[in-house]
Amino acid sequence: MKTSLITFLTFLFVHLSAQDAASILDKIDANMSSKNRVFESSMTILGKRGSRTIASKSYSEGTNRSFTEYLSPASEKGTKMLKLDKQLWIYSPSTDRTIQISGHMLRQSVMGSDLSYEDMMDDRKLTEVYDAVVTGEEMLGDRKSIVLTLTAKVSDAAYHTQKMWVDAVRFVPLKQELFAKSGKLLKQMEMKDVIQVQGRWFPTTIIYKDMLKQGDGTEFKMTKISFDQKIPEHIFSKASLKQ
Amino acid sequence: MIKFLIKGLLRDKSRSRLPIIVVSLGVMLTVFMHAYITGFMGDTFEMNAKFSTGHVKVMTRAYAENLSQLPIDLALTESGELLTNLRINYPEMEWTQRIQFGGLIDAPDSTGETRSQGPAIGLGIDLLSGNGNESERLNLSESLVQGRLPAKAGEAMLSDDFAKKLNVIPGDDVTLIGSTMNGSMSMYNFIVSGTVRFGVEIMDRGSIIADIEDIRIALDMEDASGEILGFEKSGFYENEKAETMSAIFNSNTSEGDDEYSPMMKSLSQQGNMGQYVQMSELWSAYISLIFIFAMSLVLWNAGLLGGLRRYGEVGIRLAIGEEKGHIYRSMILESFFIGLAGSVLGTTIGLFFAWLVQTYGIDISGMMKGASMMMPSTIRARITTPDFYIGFIPGVLSTVFGTMLSGIGIYRRQTATLFKELEA
Amino acid sequence: MKLALKLAYRNLMGAGLRTWLNVIVLSFSFVIIIWLKGVMTGWDHQAKTDMTNWEIGGGQYWQSNYDPYDPFTITDSHAPIPDELKKQEETGEIVPMLLLQGTIFPEGRMMPVTIRGVSPTQSFLHLPASKLDTGDGTISAIIGAQMAKHSHLKEGDYVTLRWRDANGTFDATDVLISSVFSTNVPSVDLGQIYIPLSTLQEFALLPDEATIITLKNAEESATDYPGWVYKSKKDLTRQVDEMIKTKSAGQTVIYAILLLLAMLAIFDTQVLSIFRRQKEIGTYVALGYTKQQVVGLFTVEGSMHALLAALLSAAYGMPFLAWQAKVGWTMPIDASEFGMAIAQTLYPVYSFGLVVSTVLIITITTAIVSYLPSRKIAKMNPTDALRGKLQ
Repeated sequence: MKTSLITFLTFLFVHLSAQDAASILDKIDANMSSKNRVFESSMTILGKRGSRTIASKSYSEGTNRSFTEYLSPASEKGTKMLKLDKQLWIYSPSTDRTIQISGHMLRQSVMGSDLSYEDMMDDRKLTEVYDAVVTGEEMLGDRKSIVLTLTAKVSDAAYHTQKMWVDAVRFVPLKQELFAKSGKLLKQMEMKDVIQVQGRWFPTTIIYKDMLKQGDGTEFKMTKISFDQKIPEHIFSKASLKQ
Repeated sequence: MIKFLIKGLLRDKSRSRLPIIVVSLGVMLTVFMHAYITGFMGDTFEMNAKFSTGHVKVMTRAYAENLSQLPIDLALTESGELLTNLRINYPEMEWTQRIQFGGLIDAPDSTGETRSQGPAIGLGIDLLSGNGNESERLNLSESLVQGRLPAKAGEAMLSDDFAKKLNVIPGDDVTLIGSTMNGSMSMYNFIVSGTVRFGVEIMDRGSIIADIEDIRIALDMEDASGEILGFEKSGFYENEKAETMSAIFNSNTSEGDDEYSPMMKSLSQQGNMGQYVQMSELWSAYISLIFIFAMSLVLWNAGLLGGLRRYGEVGIRLAIGEEKGHIYRSMILESFFIGLAGSVLGTTIGLFFAWLVQTYGIDISGMMKGASMMMPSTIRARITTPDFYIGFIPGVLSTVFGTMLSGIGIYRRQTATLFKELEA
Repeated sequence: MKLALKLAYRNLMGAGLRTWLNVIVLSFSFVIIIWLKGVMTGWDHQAKTDMTNWEIGGGQYWQSNYDPYDPFTITDSHAPIPDELKKQEETGEIVPMLLLQGTIFPEGRMMPVTIRGVSPTQSFLHLPASKLDTGDGTISAIIGAQMAKHSHLKEGDYVTLRWRDANGTFDATDVLISSVFSTNVPSVDLGQIYIPLSTLQEFALLPDEATIITLKNAEESATDYPGWVYKSKKDLTRQVDEMIKTKSAGQTVIYAILLLLAMLAIFDTQVLSIFRRQKEIGTYVALGYTKQQVVGLFTVEGSMHALLAALLSAAYGMPFLAWQAKVGWTMPIDASEFGMAIAQTLYPVYSFGLVVSTVLIITITTAIVSYLPSRKIAKMNPTDALRGKLQ
């Protein structure tokens, strides 16, 4: 009798916290996802031989379509990347070629950063990929944060589990740890410089780090961001790569 | 006395001609053999040297650590200055820069979109500057299957099997997708000038060879190169020299705590080559020793025969009152001259043949029909310092020794018996 | 003929040291040629044996997408082991291996590797696969000595291994290097890390699948399994054959020089014999020998050097060659660059045919060289010869 009560209570608690967690994820998604967004960003790759910064402007719509144009440095300027569903094309102005990046290439790092193309492309909503439970509360810097543990519910998630620190007030992720199935920590993301844009809270700086590898990681900074813009349809076509 | 003996030798051809021919033939074989063995044994190193290790190789410390991964992010920067310094400080070597890299080759369809794609191992070499002989070093002309070597910037060669797989022919465009020294993705267009086959599967499956300047632009490696290879101008690896050179270079130039500072490694210091160099030296010494020993026996025999030929003459000389010891000494002295003349002649001819085989090689491609290994289709001799004196050991010593032995008979035999030989 | 042989033997023995010098040199030719050829044959055997033992067994089935020179193909190169072959796995007749692309991070450096799943109970490959069976749940891995050198790993070290399963989900774990093996076959060493097959199948979400199936014994005729390609031992060892071919071609010159050397001695001896033994020649003719018979006599005498040399070679050569076959010969060559199996020490292998053909070649060459100067006899004036007058 006692046991079943404990079981019931545990179930209730888990259920409640799962529900909590699910609603937290929804709130995060509400902050982070939008019909579309346009942003300019600079990515700083902290290499052993000095760091470099790559600036780009991106348009994205939903989770399936995105278009990025690199603005600087000179060697990358004019390079464009188009993602439609599961396909990725890259256009380089110096060669005037549109190259499809497929299969194995998707696992390569983007511009030498700690992100792979796949990392960039896998932007399904968290609620689509993960089941979440609240596993604690913690102060992260001066922000009170809720700690979520996310477990993949689909088989093709790149990371089996994630641990996510979510700002308890603003509902933006502040830190994420990505784990392998075995539980080994693979990557870590830290979000900073949370600002309010068009009524949403949004972290504008993300520091990625591959935890297995030596190195200081990659810093991704959004310098301009706007949501729900009118993006002309032709942006998301292969023709726009060559323009 | 010496003058008299030499005159005798010159005038009596029967005393000098055949012995000198035999000695010089023997010496010639010894010299040629030694040069050939040296070349034959060194053959594999030279292949390794040409395609990968150089006689010495300069790279960054970090690059040396991760050599197997083609780590262009660890390449030498300001390599132009380094190259100039190397050329000034070591003028006896030929220095050349190379970039080895990994990437993807993509062939476009008519609209410029991806038609076929494949992973490639790339090699950027000095093809167009006009002051390198990399194409001879890598035997590119002979390995050509279709088309020609790159003749201007923007041209590249693909391995033949790779070109077939991508379905491209000379004249077609391909795009190299690689990662730059910083790790950025880069793309660069090449016109396929020709296709090559080396006969080594790993290279024939997917490789691209282009001028280093093109690769520098393609991979954003301005004034950088993965490695600088040094080759002896003679074309032959000299272990001690290469090791000394590396030691001096490293103590002067390389800073232990900076993993990007350049360091030099001799061929023997790269991978397992060291022990093979040692073994090769040991075994060519053994084989040469056996040959010199065998040759000594042959010339000893020739010396014996030479002595026997002249028993009649010895008889007369004894008959007219010449002292036995005097005859013996004069014969030994004569045989010394014969040995010397034969050795000089033999060494000259031997060196000439060795030089021919060193320069032109023995073409074994006929025996290699159907073979597809990256093996030299010609075998070359290699002339080293010992070749200039090694022939004298059997040439002079054995001839003299043979004469000494046969000459003992002069003491043993009675004058009368010898005189009888004269009648014969 | 018997008389000729007897005469030749007596004459040779009478010449003493001169004969023996020639014979010694000729015997060198015998021994060295047989030895060098034996080394080549031994090399061929060794390389193939090593490849058989370490890698290819009696032949392999490759999953049809598998291309060892294109690491990108590995991701798609897996298929369930055909049922017929599965039965053979139980009897130890085959070793299935699953290959997966992965990354190891020794000291925080990234190194791409091929992860090979192999059963710890496999019986015929020389890989120390039994070391993979830790029994305590630790995942252990074995690597080759070259790989250990490149990655700075040693026995007892832990290293992080990362891979992606069939769905693309990252997974990583620390594995214990339980054994470092040393092999002459570079392709099973460089860039390879071995873990238990069942573990890898589980990690990769590819139960019962494999990339390469190695057979213990050669197949008489390859069975066709859809999705698998049969690679016979001959296909897989082609490069060895070609390497041996080149090296043998290069050695031919050494044989030639060695023979020339011996022939120089024989030739010189023959010339002197004919020069000094004119009276004898004259006597033979006077006794009713035809000139051709005398030429034959001298040729037999010269050729007999080869016979004596063969006997001498047998006397010291057999122990030497046998000793070599036992202790081996260390090869001064680095073929690992070519991705081929070459042992440091080669054990020469001599065949009966090799010995017979070498003896024949040397004897025939000696006979020809003995005959050439003897032809002069035929031009001699018998009376002058009898008088010993120089001609």
